[in-house]
Amino acid sequence: MNRSAMGQPSSAIAPSGGKPTGDAVQAVQDALAAEHAAVWTYGLVTAFVEQGPRTAEGAAAHRARRDATERLLRDASAEPVPPAPAYLPPAPVTDATSAIAAMVAVEIDACVAWRGVLERTEDADLRRTALDALTGCAVRATRWRKTAGLLPAGLAMPGTAVG
Amino acid sequence: MIAESRGPLLSRRRVLLAAASAPLAVACTTPPPAPLPPDPLADLAVQARADAALATAAGLEEVAAARTEHAKLIQAEVDRARPSGPSSSASAPPGTSAAPPPSSGTPEQVVEALQAAQKAGTELLATVPPHRAGLLGSVVAGCASLVEVMS
Repeated sequence: MNRSAMGQPSSAIAPSGGKPTGDAVQAVQDALAAEHAAVWTYGLVTAFVEQGPRTAEGAAAHRARRDATERLLRDASAEPVPPAPAYLPPAPVTDATSAIAAMVAVEIDACVAWRGVLERTEDADLRRTALDALTGCAVRATRWRKTAGLLPAGLAMPGTAVG
Repeated sequence: MIAESRGPLLSRRRVLLAAASAPLAVACTTPPPAPLPPDPLADLAVQARADAALATAAGLEEVAAARTEHAKLIQAEVDRARPSGPSSSASAPPGTSAAPPPSSGTPEQVVEALQAAQKAGTELLATVPPHRAGLLGSVVAGCASLVEVMS
């Protein structure tokens, strides 16, 4: 509860409900694992990226999402997966460029995980939660790609291998 | 003994025949089934194609390419679900397909269209089967990404 208080106001009103059952429980666990990785990576890059509202906002959004997802799993009588001690970015983070690449990578991984939730639940609240998370990750990935000058900056189909 | 056993056999046959032909009679007399209700995703494909045309007119190639991709994927799902239906381009629901390609478009109009597509996809999300929920989710998030590209 204390951790979620660190989230920015917008994440406090973001959908974060729903009840996973069956296959959806594992899909939500996978999404939580992706959120753990994102929180860790946003922590890692702080040494390399100029600290601005974007990094802070992304870090806060992932913390809030992680906390909400843990609650959601506990409410469904599932034990939330713990974070790994460390995560391996796709390339070593040594400067601003590689730091941004690492953030793009975790956002895209989280898009895939949250789409996986959408594909495994009929629960309308959980779908709204997953869509909100997927959209947030896609927008942040786009923002970082724009910052890095990558083209195309946008993701046509976030959560799929294509986009 | 023989005559007695043939009697019930014949009548059983007749009963079986009658039972077997009853559905046939029904099938021959019922009118052809009413056309299925339109696939709710068909409108989203039409919208995606229209957005692609608008974005092309506005000179926004990335948006045009992404919305063309959305149209292709949504239409593929519509066609998969109803393979016997008329072909995609010919079957656009009335009132949504008649618009000619726009000759001009502004970035503001494109952003509005993308936001409308996000809303339409979000509204459908609760009612569709899970595999469609995944598709819709990616399309909605893709539209949000495109809005961010233009911001």
